Amino acid sequence: MNRKLHIKIFRYNPLDPDSRPHMQSFHINEYDSMTLFIALTQIRDEMDPSLKFDFCCRAGICGSCGMVINGRPGLACHTQTKDLPAEITLHPLPVFKLLGDLSVDTGTWFRDVGTRIEAWVHGNDAAFDPAAEEVRMENALAEEIFELDRCIECGCCIAACGTARMREDFLGAASIARIARFAMDPRDLRSDDAYYDVIGNDQGVFGCMGLLGCQDVCPKHLPLQDQLGIMRRMLALHSVKGILPKAVIAALKHKGHKGCCHEKH
Amino acid sequence: MNLSAITLHVPDQSKIAGRLDFVMVASGALLILFLWAHLLLVSSVVLSPAIMNALAHFFEATYMAQVGGPAIFVVMVVHFILAARKMPFEQGEWKAFVTHGRMLRHKDTTLWLVQVISAIVILVLASVHVFTVLSDLPISAAKSAARVQGGTWLSLYLVLLPMAEMHVGIGFYRIGIKYGFISSARRAWYQRAEVVMMGGFVGIGLLTLARLYWLSI
Repeated sequence: MNRKLHIKIFRYNPLDPDSRPHMQSFHINEYDSMTLFIALTQIRDEMDPSLKFDFCCRAGICGSCGMVINGRPGLACHTQTKDLPAEITLHPLPVFKLLGDLSVDTGTWFRDVGTRIEAWVHGNDAAFDPAAEEVRMENALAEEIFELDRCIECGCCIAACGTARMREDFLGAASIARIARFAMDPRDLRSDDAYYDVIGNDQGVFGCMGLLGCQDVCPKHLPLQDQLGIMRRMLALHSVKGILPKAVIAALKHKGHKGCCHEKH
Repeated sequence: MNLSAITLHVPDQSKIAGRLDFVMVASGALLILFLWAHLLLVSSVVLSPAIMNALAHFFEATYMAQVGGPAIFVVMVVHFILAARKMPFEQGEWKAFVTHGRMLRHKDTTLWLVQVISAIVILVLASVHVFTVLSDLPISAAKSAARVQGGTWLSLYLVLLPMAEMHVGIGFYRIGIKYGFISSARRAWYQRAEVVMMGGFVGIGLLTLARLYWLSI
């Protein structure tokens, strides 16, 4: 323990015409249970108050401190320095708009895809009775939905996705898992056609190339691989309804509740 | 009236994206099965040239070679066109993907580039191979041996064999991933299976080439 850490940080302020992108080195002493977030805070407190990086909760809940750590997108607050070599290289997440140094704007990106996939429960508003008791849901199903709702929109899955980096309009794993969450929810009254309209295209499920960077970096360990497979198969089979024999579609269909669930096969 | 056929201001409600994806995956699966069967049938020469000749005769007497051969070629071209929609042909896309691959150093991401490059090699070399074989029926062990011993053909097969086996090996795994036939719990097992299968089929292929190379005509 007590290594001397060499932290190389990407520095650039896009708003300052004199600023040039470069890497800057900082040397700090490591101590027990130090996280990358603590290291960055120490650098900002003691060495360079102009260092920009985002943080809020320090506990892997808010999704602000996503950055590229030695080539891997991850959360600074979730990453202990003892799990890294003594030389640590930090970059801002790609894909998202750079605000400065390690800080990027994930919010605008997620708001845009949220609008595109209509990420809200589409119920029958006219029939809504505020005085009525809420409709109950099976606990097992609620847990499955919550499993996907745990997404903190940190953007790591998008930054780790080769497709998202090549194609700006690709929705990414977080959005597809998000629409799956609505497909599972019995309160969302959208038809398969309606889900198909928002993600059944080359910007959505059919654009995914199965690289699985998303699955391998997700700091919340969301079941992204399984969920992408479920949604893609569901919508691909939906598109060939009436062309392929019913028996073939039934044989290929994912077993289980619509949009759900994760099994071992 | 469906206005989306006339103006792009009206979003298309068709199911074409899903159908094309389905055809891409189904044609890929078909080509994988074909290639494995093809390799195993040709490798029968290792046991005996007579077996290979008998098998070749069966496929020609039933017209499977004359009809199936060109059909498989068409399936290959269709599969290429559908899959090539994802390829980074624009320089900016290529740069983005290569930069990404270098940053992430992630096996499944790198293997996709292997698929892209092998796809183009296979498209060219397999076309040459199919044309030559089908324009000179019937297939026989002696003719194949003459080609392999004739010099330049051997180098073509030594490139085509590993490229094709890598492409179908990775493709087999990726179809399973993309359509959810391989779950995250079993992913590591399938990754190993992918490597074993690739090695196995390249091995059988090399053995076949060696047998043809040293076969006395």
